[in-house]
Formats: sequence, structure tokens, C-alpha cells
Amino acid sequence: MHSTRLLAATSSVLIAASFAFADTAAAQSASESDFSKRLDQLASELAKVKAELAQLQQQQRTAAAAAPAPGTATAAAAAAPAPAPAVPVSTALGSGLLNGPATVLTSYGEINYNRPTNDSKNTVADMRRFVLGYQHRFDEKTKVVTELEVEHAVSSSSDRGEVEVEQAYLERQVARQYAVRAGLFLMPSGLLNENHEPTAFYGVERNFVETAIIPSTWREGGIQIVGTYDNGVTAQAGITTGFDLNKWDATSTEGAQSPLGSIHQELQLANARDLSVFGALNWRGVPGLLLGGSIFTGGATHGQSANSSHVTLWDVHVRYQPGRWDFSGVYARGTISNTPAFNAPLVGSTTLIPKSFDGWYTQAAYKLWSNDQYSLAPFVRWEQFNTARSFADLGAGLTPDAARTERVATIGANFNIGSGIVVKADLQRFRQNPDANRFDLGLGWSF
Amino acid sequence: MAQRRWRLASAMGSAALLAACGGGGTATPAAAPPSAALSAAAALGEKIFRDASLSASGRQSCASCHDPAFGHSPPNALAAQFGGPNLDLQGTRKAPGIRYLAANGPFFFAADGAPTGGFFWDGRARNFAEQATEPFINPFEMANADKAAVVAKIAAASYAADFRTLYGNDVFADVDGAYLRISLAVQQYEREDVDFNAYSSKYDAFLRGAASLSAAETRGLALYNSPTKGNCAGCHPSARGADGSAPLFTDFTYDNLGVPRNPELTRNADPAYFDLGLCQRADFANRGDLCGAFKVPTLRNVALRQAYFHNGRFKTLKDALGFYVQRDTNPAKWYPLDGSGTVVKFDDLPPEYRVNVNTTEVPYNRRLGGVPALSDAEIDDVITFLKTLNDGYAP
Repeated sequence: MHSTRLLAATSSVLIAASFAFADTAAAQSASESDFSKRLDQLASELAKVKAELAQLQQQQRTAAAAAPAPGTATAAAAAAPAPAPAVPVSTALGSGLLNGPATVLTSYGEINYNRPTNDSKNTVADMRRFVLGYQHRFDEKTKVVTELEVEHAVSSSSDRGEVEVEQAYLERQVARQYAVRAGLFLMPSGLLNENHEPTAFYGVERNFVETAIIPSTWREGGIQIVGTYDNGVTAQAGITTGFDLNKWDATSTEGAQSPLGSIHQELQLANARDLSVFGALNWRGVPGLLLGGSIFTGGATHGQSANSSHVTLWDVHVRYQPGRWDFSGVYARGTISNTPAFNAPLVGSTTLIPKSFDGWYTQAAYKLWSNDQYSLAPFVRWEQFNTARSFADLGAGLTPDAARTERVATIGANFNIGSGIVVKADLQRFRQNPDANRFDLGLGWSF
Repeated sequence: MAQRRWRLASAMGSAALLAACGGGGTATPAAAPPSAALSAAAALGEKIFRDASLSASGRQSCASCHDPAFGHSPPNALAAQFGGPNLDLQGTRKAPGIRYLAANGPFFFAADGAPTGGFFWDGRARNFAEQATEPFINPFEMANADKAAVVAKIAAASYAADFRTLYGNDVFADVDGAYLRISLAVQQYEREDVDFNAYSSKYDAFLRGAASLSAAETRGLALYNSPTKGNCAGCHPSARGADGSAPLFTDFTYDNLGVPRNPELTRNADPAYFDLGLCQRADFANRGDLCGAFKVPTLRNVALRQAYFHNGRFKTLKDALGFYVQRDTNPAKWYPLDGSGTVVKFDDLPPEYRVNVNTTEVPYNRRLGGVPALSDAEIDDVITFLKTLNDGYAP
């Protein structure tokens, strides 16, 4: 990191010097050819410095990125939990700022095809996500990162798509190791939430532990401090909005599919009387290894009820990438407190509020084949999750039974094209719900 | 996120759409709470509401059939109240309760085609004011000859001076204008008086955390909510809204239950006469799929009412709930037999409209001879719970 800054400083000095020299040369009577020769020399030295800078940054990203096919600087830097002030590299001289364009467009998209093997009449093809974002760098220390998402291609009052702001935060580097983020940002939880581009995970669909338990794409509004240390530790802590238990709809099945997904607020006129706090630690001290965990807790009733309740979600995760292998695992568990008080008026309804819900998965991928343009990585994943692991007692005959734990086995492959395009295929088998067994195909990009 | 329940599509298409009920049904959070002191218009409206001299008989006011002591429902078990100049002409339908209608608006068809909203059993009035204009001149109710007769009575009432103060000295010169203002004053009273939206039941206290339900009441609530047992919450939602608003125990839609014909209504002596509900409205004369549908009322204060459904066919909650769960398993208990001894199910509808009756939603989806969705003891528990919906709870 230190050497990167040195290189950045050096290149800016060189550019400044070249302009200063140009001014001085114009005032003096040096021959024009001499002057232009020197300019050429300076330009080539500058290009060399920039190349070294790019190389150093690339090395940094390879160590830090969670992407199997590392995207370009900007996309990875935006999503990575270790936010070095990413200087977008550009070979264009004098395009306004010293270090390349100040405003960068980002995007990712997923087109998915799901074919239930026992129930083919429910085969669906969907433009699952189309995301456009931008990052704008105000100065060396400050940037804004935004992402706008369209789900299911068409959004209107009579269509089923949605348009949403997925991220919109400002980040300022306040010290060498610390940055402050404020706005609507992704929560550092699990492996997928912050790095959820289609090129960042194996399989066509995001795994269930990180969609049903950790409600990806989970974002809250608030402020956080990110600390990045030389020993490979990244620490994050912050205060944000939280969930709203008053939104629980006992007559629908949404709460059974994802308890927190059914009560998230997405900073949409969010009830914010009760704020939540979170912390996350990630260690990348050993090359190829990421070990980390997070915890989030906060009130979820916002004074709208005589009773109060807290939602807590924590996770531990690991990712190990020795050589061609890519192993990962996540365990996540959520709890909601004081549920009997909130379930009492809902007794008998379809979906009561669970006391706890959790899940884990392990995944192994292997880069079977690659050349400079393509790579093929088959993978297998085993996951178990339960969106209603337990219910608090409401009395005999009234307390719902715990849900059955779903077990999903996934086998498939990611085929990466260039840097930033992926074609995926997989087969998924569900132990509790064989009607959901499916064959999936996916096409995605990210830049 | 759609809150409506999934509707089963039948081969008859929209007929089944009509038969199903949807979600919704909580108090409008933006509605201001009624103030303790009534405005001038509302105070006038209250006087008009209670003034029996405004009827041809001189003995019937709005409050006679919408009695505050009975949840603004009738104070007796008659299938239809008697009105007319001598209070001897039977009305056509049971007088509806008029509480908890603040969130009710004009009639419309929802996005999925479900008829929703409106005042009266067939939703023909758009608001309280429009509803108030009809009883005054209905020959079977307050039976005034015309609007002018009503206006003349107000002009001679003890509060005529208040009327002039509020609406101008020459208000009585224009009959239509004065009649409109009479209905607006009554509407203002119904909107402002806290008795119409008290939320003072034991269940409201329970939702606020100020009371707890007994074991029987809790069992009853569970059966009420369960989509496989009573499923009452399907059309009469019991849950608070996402914004914390109190449940209104109706989703303001319509349903066709095939309630048995009531011989107590003298009109029904003519076998060719049928009360067809929604499709009896002039604007829905060609909507055969709406025939037999009537508005879903609130269940708040249901235990204060003494006759149930649009034709007042049942007089006790036990009978009403028994009908719900045994209609299809034991129709002979609820419907008459024809000459050859066959049960005439849905006898209060002409044969061509009996297909409109809701037979897909729990609990009316059982088969002949099957087990009813609720046992006798379970019905009693539900009734015990329904009693918690009466206003005026004091611990």
C-alpha cells in the first residue's frame, strides 16, 4: 500500500514537472526539437511509472479480491471490504485528473434460466438483474459509489420487476488505515453480500444460506468505519438502520422463505427509531486464505408496539484458495427476541415469527482448465438451512413446529470468458422439496 | 410485496374471482383520530341522526335501526326492520352496522377484478353522505314523501337555527342544497364521533399489550386465523397493518355464501323473487357473475348483533358459524327439501346463479358427509373470541 502511494505521488510529480518544464522551456530560447525530445522522454518515463503502479495494484487486488475471475480495478475495489483508495488506472494523459477519469461507470448483469426437472411447466428464463452504477472520485481521499438495479427486466405497477437503489454511499479516507463510509451500503456479512456480482460466486443462483438467512443483497443506511491493517486484518464497525418486525405478514409465506428478507427496509422510508450496530472482522494474513465473521444487532419494533424485540444476525466464513482450488464455507445464524408477544395476536396463522433461523454451507471449486482468455471451474456445494429452527413457546397446541431443515446439493461449473464474463450451469437437488430440483443456466458480466 | 391471497381460478373464470376474499382491511393510518368535541356540522348531524320526527311515522330516526347501544346495528333480531308511515312495512334487507367504515371508500373493482368498497350491502353509495340520503325517502324506512318533506321537517326542528347559522339563512329555500347539507352533517357526525371508531374492545387492549386473552379466547383466535380451520381471517383480517394500524375485521370486498332463503322476509313468499345483491344494481344488471354477492361486514361488535347476513337468516353466532362449516357437509340441516326429498342447496338463488357461490375457500370447501372444518367445541371457542371484539371493554 505504501509503495502504491509512493508511485502515485511520483507519477503526479512527473506530470507536474513536465508541465512546469514546458512553461519554462517556452519562456527560454531552447530549440523546439530539444524541448519535444525531452517531453517524449518524460512521457515514456511516466508511462513506465504508471505501468509499475498498475502492476502493484493488480497484485494487491489478486490478494484481496474474492472474485474467481478478478474484474477490473474499479468494480473489485468498489465491492471489496478492504477499500484502499482505488486509483483507476488509465493511460490517457491529461484527461482532467492526475490519475485517470474521475467518474467511472460500473455494471453487472445476470440472465438466468431455471428448469425444474420434475416440474418443467415452471421453467423460467429471467433477466434477473441489470445493474448500473457509477463511482465518482471527488479527490484523492473521497469518492461516491452508487448502484441502481432493475430486477426482472420490466418494472411498472402491473409488472413484476423492481427498480432499486442498491448502494449509494460516500467514502472518505480519513487516515492511512481508516476510511469512513456513510450512506446506503452493503452489510459486511458472509462471503456473498458485498461481492455478489455473477462473476463472484459459483452457481447460477446465489446460495440459500446467503439469501434466506443472510438476506442478500442486504443493505442498510448509516455510517461505518473501515480499518485496513498491515497484518491483513480488515475491521468494520458502524451504526445503521435495521429491520422492522411490524412488517411481518403472518398470512403470507415470505417469512418462511426468508425471515429477514420479509422484514428488511432497504432504506425505503425506513422506520429508524431503533438503530442497529454491527461489526465485521476479516483476516487475509496468509496468501489465499480469508477468515472472518460479523455480527449485527438492533431493535426492530421502533416504538410502534407496547413490546420490543431485537434482531441479531451473526456469521463466520472462510475461503481458502490454494493453487487451483477454491474452498469456502459460511455459517450464519439469526435470532429474534420476545417473539411470543408478537406472535400472540397471530396464533393459527400461516407463518409465525421464528425465534431462530440458521444455515451453513461448504463449497469446493477447482480450476480445471484455463488459458489466457478462458477458464473452466467446476464446483460442488452442500448447504443446509432452516428458516424457522425454533419457535418460542406459545402454549400447547398453539406453538408451531420447527420447520424442516432443507438440504441442497449443487454441482456445476463456471466458465469465465475474458475478464468479467461468465457462463454458468448447475444442477440442484433439494431434500425436502424435490419439486424444486432444477437445472440452471446463467450468463453474467461484471465491470 | 402483494398482500392479497392467491385466488383459485375456476373454469367459470370471474365467478370464482368474485367468490374469494383478499387481504387488506386495516384502519387508514393517515386518518386523524376523532376529536372529543364535535364540530358544528357534526353536532348538527348528531341531532339529525337521533331525530325521530324526521320520519313519516314520527317514531323512527337513524338511531332506531343503527342503535349506538348495539354497535350502531339494529336493537332486535328482526330479519329486516319495519318502517313506513305506520312502521308496518318490512324492509328488504337487514340494516347494516355503520361502525368502522372510516376506511371504506366508493365501490371499485380491484386490479384482480374483486369488487371492493361502497356503502350498503351492494356498495351503491359512495360515502356516508350518499348513504344517508336514502333512508329518509325510502317508503319502507323513514318514508318521507320526498326531499322537500324532509327539508321542511328540519326547518321546523329545534335545531333549525343552528342549521341556518352554519349553512346560511336562506339554506332552506333550495331543497336540493339543503338536503345535501343534511346528508353532509350526518356524514360529519359519523366521521367525528369517537363511538363510530372507538377501538375500545378487549382485543384492541390485547393488541396494545394492555390485556391478555383467556385460554378459550386464544384457542378461538387460533382457529379464526388458521387457513385450514376457520380461515375467518381470509375475509375478516385480524392482524395489525404493517404500519401499526388496527385491524378492521373486514377487507371491504364481497362474497357469495349461498345463505338459505329466509321465510321471515315476506317478499320471499313469492318464489320468483330473489335478492340478487350486487347484480341487482342497475349498473351491474348484465354482470351475472356478481349475482348473489353481498358486502363483507366488519366483525367488530358482531356479538352485539342479533341477526346475521343480508337477509337476517340466522339469529345466533352459533347458527351462523355452524352454517359456515356444515353448509356443505350437512346441507339438509340448513336448506329445505323439495317435493322429491332432495335438498335444495343455495335455495335463495335462482338455479343459474348457484354456480357463483363460494365453494373453494376454507371452510366451504368440504364435501357432503365430510367432517366440518370446526367442531362444536371449536365453534364455541371462536364465539368466545368474537366476543372480545365488542367495544367498551373495561378490565
